[in-house]
Amino acid sequence: MDYDAIVIGGGHAGIEACLALSREGFETLLVTQSLDTIGRMSCNPSIGGLAKGNLVREIDALGGEMAHLIDSTMIQYRILNRRRGPAVQAPRAQADKFSYSRKAKETLEKQSHLHLFMDTVTDFIVEDGECRGVVTERGWRISSSVVVLTTGTFMDGRIFIGEYDASAGRLGENAAIGLGDSLRRLGFHTGRMKTGTPARVLLSSLDLEEMEIQEGDKEEPFSFDNDAVSRPSLPCYVTYTNEETHRIIRENISRSPLYGGKIVGKGPRYCPSIEDKVVRFPDRERHQIFVEPEGLGSEEMYLNGLSSSLPEDVQRAFIHSIPGLRHAEVMRPAYAVEYDYLDPLDLYPTLESKILPSLFIAGQTNGTSGYEEAAAQGLMAGINAAERLKGNKGIVLSRTEAYIGVLIDDLVTKGTKEPYRMFTSRAEYRLSLRHDTADERLTPIGIKIGLAAKDKAERFERKRRELDEVVSILKHKRCGGKSAYDRLKEPGQDIRELGIAELADYPEGVLSRVELDIRYSGYLLRQEREAEKTRREENMAIPADFDYDSIDGISSESREKLKAVRPLSLGQAMRISGVRVSDIAVLAVAIRSGRG
Amino acid sequence: MAHYATDEPIYALATPYSPSALAVIRASGEGVLSLLSSRFSSKLEGRASGSAVHGFLKDGNGGLIDEVMVIRYDHGHGYTGEEAFEIMCHGSLPVIRMISKMLEELGIREAERGEFTYRAFMHGRMDLTEAEAVEEIVSAKTERAGRDALSRLTGAIRAEADKAKNEILDILASLEVQLDYGEDDVPEDWIFPHEKVDRIKNRLSMIASTYSSSRLYSHGASVVLIGRTNAGKSSLYNTILKENRAIVSDEEGTTRDYIESDAVIDGIPVRLFDTAGIREAEGSVEREGIRRSRDLMKDADLIVYVLDGDETDDYPVSDNAIHVRSKKDITGNQDYLSFSSITGDGIDEVIKAIKEKLVSSDAALSSVPHIDSERQLEALEETVEALEDAEKALPMGEDVVAMYFQSALSSLSALTGEVTNDDVLERLFSSFCLGK
Repeated sequence: MDYDAIVIGGGHAGIEACLALSREGFETLLVTQSLDTIGRMSCNPSIGGLAKGNLVREIDALGGEMAHLIDSTMIQYRILNRRRGPAVQAPRAQADKFSYSRKAKETLEKQSHLHLFMDTVTDFIVEDGECRGVVTERGWRISSSVVVLTTGTFMDGRIFIGEYDASAGRLGENAAIGLGDSLRRLGFHTGRMKTGTPARVLLSSLDLEEMEIQEGDKEEPFSFDNDAVSRPSLPCYVTYTNEETHRIIRENISRSPLYGGKIVGKGPRYCPSIEDKVVRFPDRERHQIFVEPEGLGSEEMYLNGLSSSLPEDVQRAFIHSIPGLRHAEVMRPAYAVEYDYLDPLDLYPTLESKILPSLFIAGQTNGTSGYEEAAAQGLMAGINAAERLKGNKGIVLSRTEAYIGVLIDDLVTKGTKEPYRMFTSRAEYRLSLRHDTADERLTPIGIKIGLAAKDKAERFERKRRELDEVVSILKHKRCGGKSAYDRLKEPGQDIRELGIAELADYPEGVLSRVELDIRYSGYLLRQEREAEKTRREENMAIPADFDYDSIDGISSESREKLKAVRPLSLGQAMRISGVRVSDIAVLAVAIRSGRG
Repeated sequence: MAHYATDEPIYALATPYSPSALAVIRASGEGVLSLLSSRFSSKLEGRASGSAVHGFLKDGNGGLIDEVMVIRYDHGHGYTGEEAFEIMCHGSLPVIRMISKMLEELGIREAERGEFTYRAFMHGRMDLTEAEAVEEIVSAKTERAGRDALSRLTGAIRAEADKAKNEILDILASLEVQLDYGEDDVPEDWIFPHEKVDRIKNRLSMIASTYSSSRLYSHGASVVLIGRTNAGKSSLYNTILKENRAIVSDEEGTTRDYIESDAVIDGIPVRLFDTAGIREAEGSVEREGIRRSRDLMKDADLIVYVLDGDETDDYPVSDNAIHVRSKKDITGNQDYLSFSSITGDGIDEVIKAIKEKLVSSDAALSSVPHIDSERQLEALEETVEALEDAEKALPMGEDVVAMYFQSALSSLSALTGEVTNDDVLERLFSSFCLGK
């Protein structure tokens, strides 16, 4: 074998996958179409946000890289949903996208056991039905024991700007051609999806005084490895569309490839293009637009909320109808991109392919959207590829312990019909998945598999001790007729205002963690009881090669669904839509009695 | 499936729900024995698994429910393989009801259909051949249970439940859009829709309260006759029974302080109690008798105060009571429903009054559909409770409020079928303009 592992694609999924593998000591090759676009932010110049911020912190807790990258390149930090309860709060940061990408490349270059190579993968080496390497456009045959595929929007990617369309993965970058055909030939189920990005405009051409300024909060680290971050903070600007904007869009709607029928792929409903918003919500008088910096020392500004595939002359016209943007100089146009994705129902919860064993697939290729969703899968694919190399069973996070668990379980159990984005409301146990508890939930797993570095493990142990100490102080101190601990159960009670001098020695993160844990203890307990049921169902394992035809009692409809998904636990089987309760009961018996 | 695959304590009546000499109620789940011990007069600890213990079951106030045999099963024994017990009690409907109520007070919930068998499977209590044999039955059974649960819903109640579900979904979606999009995208504050929630709560509570009246037809009612000795109670009791006696063997009450018997009045199964006189408290035995009468009155669906022809009426007036006079043939008081046990005159009117009183609550609730099962009642009560909790949780934060709306939906799912997170997102995507 040339390498232990090959990772295809240097996007947010590929970065985490190749780092996880090489950090666990496996000789890993990253093959990318362009070494200059590693960790590129194709769309929003920001990391985190609601539910996504939780993903970033979970990636970090396991030993992933994304939080480090954003901590060292953020140019504005905010906590979202401060007023709406800790379970739905999350950090988001604007990134200097140029340094983010550069920092990502440097990190990969410096990583031992990791090798970078620029070429385009067009096919796989298959031996004895298993994936054993890749074939490239320039004719290389490179062998490995496992392969991780993270091609994002590049597989047969095609971009659309009005009447113009071209083969591309991003504007100006070649699509990956050939790989999709190879995969289809191997029996993979592919589909088309669509996403879009707005125009970028020149900062000095904007009428800043006509827009609201949005400043950031005091920056805090995403990574549990950092005590603090100190970064510049640039403002964002807020403006609104108006009747004139909507009129221009309506009058030109027939020139949109989305409405003209050129694009067949399904786009995300939660992040529609501006023409979609205007058509679907005709009563709205205005839509909010955020103007966000793309980086330090760059004049490019991102028009968040104006993604579109209308022709460029229409784009200019509607942009110029918006206050603050009347004289905006468009540097890059908005465009839609349509690409191949692989049906995630063809994956096990370890992200290993059911069709081609030893191939792991992660990121936007699986029908998701977002850097954080991609990175989370990339990390788990890398971890599981490494577990496979070690001869272990694989790590599957439960829905009860991580948003990552919810994300992957949703994908491989229900599939997805539109680009899948993480929402807090997808999680049943949202209160237990706060972003500030990600380390508590996942770092022990990171330590166990050997991905969390030694100093990370030590920091974690220290924090745990500190948490225990603070709790014990609170239980012993009395405060207004009851223990300080009970006092904190009252809404709005601030741990720093209890007047307990000893607490001053503890870090802010520890104090706020304890405060929230105590205040929500009753509700957490309630969710924990629910979660326990789910965990028990997860713990009833079903062998991957379980023979569903061997049990008579199952309805043929459920049998087909079970055979398609091949759930690895009774819990997963129960979540497959359309599988009957009675069939689950029969299945449970069969597993119990060791049949199948 | 939501309730399955847990070890929450559950109970179920193992014998048919109809008056008979003996009934068996069984319960299963971790800790059920110690739960029961607080209401059982004899000691269960230290007994061998499978042994039967004789004793008395008491209600929360220490009042006697029934004289029973309890068989205990340790973990690993018994039908489900879990810690379990079986109660053999008298097969009177009120007794079964009182024991069910007692078990629920102890935190043991009524089992879903097929749940005992399911647990037996899960704990490997059946070997391969047995399992194969039962497999088919269970799959047929659980499937039927699913169908039953749905078919039991008349079109009207189904529509009501769907309506409530949709209203709660709307509220939850309007909340989730805030939680999932943040202040930037949805800058308006979310305002708790008190009026809307109250409306849903009231409606569901009203439907829930129909249970007590529709229950009359399926589960029967208890009617207690109260009056002085010789006031004419016993003759009324016997006259009613003469024409309306249910075809079951008569049996004495579990104590000798009252006599009970089953009758069917216009289709309503009625358990009729003739109590010890309530006013002649002389010796301790009589006092005990009076105490029991009062207990019976507390649980009664209807109390019939029987007055002697010219006796002064100082019995309390209440919604579930009627006052009648005997000896119509002698005194004939015009202001009262009167009857004569000798001529039979007026008896039909009294019976009619009993029936009307029993179903009178129906009249007030005629605007809402009726439910007829404990499970539906439970689902409705849980939904209302979750909605109340959502309101109370407002100071804690909107994330907690959302959790309670979610529980309200999942409680309703017993009536409407499963509501998943995807439904919430679906609603959210279709109702709100999202995305920057």
